[in-house]
Amino acid sequence: MTPWMLADITLPLDRFTLTVRWETSHAALGIFGPSGAGKTSILESIAGLRRAARGTIRVGGETWLDSSRGIVRPPERRGVGYVPQDGLLFPHRDVLGNILSGTRRAGRPGALRVDPERALEVLELGDLRHRDVSSLSGGERQRVALGRALCSGPALLLLDEPLGSLDQPLRRRILPYLLRIQKEFAVPTIYVSHEATEITLLSHEVLILEAGKEVARGRPQEIFIDRAIYPMARAGGFENLLTGRVVEASGAVATVELEPGMRVTVAAPDQVAGREVIVAARAEDFILAVYPPTGLSAQNILAGEIREIRQPAANDSSSGEAGAAGQVVVVVEVGRLAAPLLATITAQACRQLALAPGGRIHLVCKANSFHVLATR
Amino acid sequence: MSPLLISLKVACWVTVLILPPGVLLGLLLARGDFRGKSLIETAATLPLVLPPTAVGYLVLRMLGRYGPLGEPSLGFDLDLLFTWKGAVLASCIMALPLVVRTARVAFEEVDPRLEGIARTLGLGRVRTFVEITLPLARRGLLAAAVLGFSRALGEFGATVIVAGSIPDRTQTLALAIFSDMQIGHDREAMTLVAVTVVLAFAAVFTVEILLRKRPRSA
Repeated sequence: MTPWMLADITLPLDRFTLTVRWETSHAALGIFGPSGAGKTSILESIAGLRRAARGTIRVGGETWLDSSRGIVRPPERRGVGYVPQDGLLFPHRDVLGNILSGTRRAGRPGALRVDPERALEVLELGDLRHRDVSSLSGGERQRVALGRALCSGPALLLLDEPLGSLDQPLRRRILPYLLRIQKEFAVPTIYVSHEATEITLLSHEVLILEAGKEVARGRPQEIFIDRAIYPMARAGGFENLLTGRVVEASGAVATVELEPGMRVTVAAPDQVAGREVIVAARAEDFILAVYPPTGLSAQNILAGEIREIRQPAANDSSSGEAGAAGQVVVVVEVGRLAAPLLATITAQACRQLALAPGGRIHLVCKANSFHVLATR
Repeated sequence: MSPLLISLKVACWVTVLILPPGVLLGLLLARGDFRGKSLIETAATLPLVLPPTAVGYLVLRMLGRYGPLGEPSLGFDLDLLFTWKGAVLASCIMALPLVVRTARVAFEEVDPRLEGIARTLGLGRVRTFVEITLPLARRGLLAAAVLGFSRALGEFGATVIVAGSIPDRTQTLALAIFSDMQIGHDREAMTLVAVTVVLAFAAVFTVEILLRKRPRSA
């Protein structure tokens, strides 16, 4: 695959100089890092809103920035659809007015063409089209900002923590819209977040940023469980993600088949049999058992093999957030699942069970601890 | 021409003439980042703090026979001294600081990130200004216009020096009140005061009404 994007950016910031360089052929790139790492500055540089940015930016064969040759393409000629954390809707226009703000450019040859009506439909904004934007809820505002960016004929979507200002339940409700956009409009995306789960769902490749520098890059499912990156991913709400198909749905629970013969029961109302879903469980929600337990109310027992045991670092209490200190991370290989599952237990429990790599282990998880994140 | 009509004519002309440079200067001071910004800022504020008579006297000397803008220097007569146009010029200078400062605040209240977003959506600098900045700053700009108009309506010190107080030609309401009072025409003075009150009330009230409407564009 030829890279559709090349970026080599240097930008002096207050506390450090941002220097990143990547080439990617993946249509969905994630940028993950703690707040203040320089994530937004990268997006603003790509959008052309940072005049101090130096280096090279090439997207889809077009040069947007090449400092050595004095090329700086102005933002209006770059073709990005930028969705900032707070939406930044135009307060003097209604919902439709906002969505149509960038449609003039969309007529350009080669630009992604999204029919505004289709965008309103996909984002479920049809009924709100004439509403004043000041009367919208946080989730509605973000959907309008998404629609506006989509309808501007973008060559590249820049999503800057688009769910960042929303509370957790709302984030989970907006997430499917983002997935739907990716599927429906097939526009290259850079997704910035400090939420590991969102990045994993929305990007094929992730760049981990810390203090303006790349510290790692790779497939989200592999990178986030990496020994060095996991503490950061954990601070960003790491969850084990599993893909499967709903085989049975009744009332408040659904049975999801992860692979032939391996099924989990998930508390998830309104599921439909046959649907592809992604289910999630936090590492701290697993109970580990050396022998197959019986007589439990917990609905799920997954048998696996311990691949790795990560003891807490000596200075963990200073670096980790509250509750993470002193925890042992047990990495468990289950069947032929795409990624191992991570479970956290106390150091004391780890000693008592005498856990060791290579040993058989059973992961116990309540149906209530599994939740359906999205449907594919 | 009655003092009322002269006043209205002068104030309207001042508003029309002062808005473009005032708004531009306000924008420059709100968004620009250049050398000598504070200098321009100070110069644009000067008429606000100087005695109006000092400003008037300076203008008089500039336009006078031996001034840099006088007939001998230019080779032609600008014909401003002791005309209603002179009153417009004097009031323009006196109103400039208020218009610039109000416009500046109006622009500063527009989130520059909204302008950035507009640029990413394909709007060039000019379109962004016309479609985003201007509508968002319109309340403040309207206030700037009304302040400029009101300042021109009330201008006395600089006007009396540059335009004199010639009845039916340059005698505005403010000048006429003073003149009537001096010659003991108290009833006439009081009538003119009443007229200014009505005028001022109408101007401020109009703005209140205009501002109450929610800004909206199709």
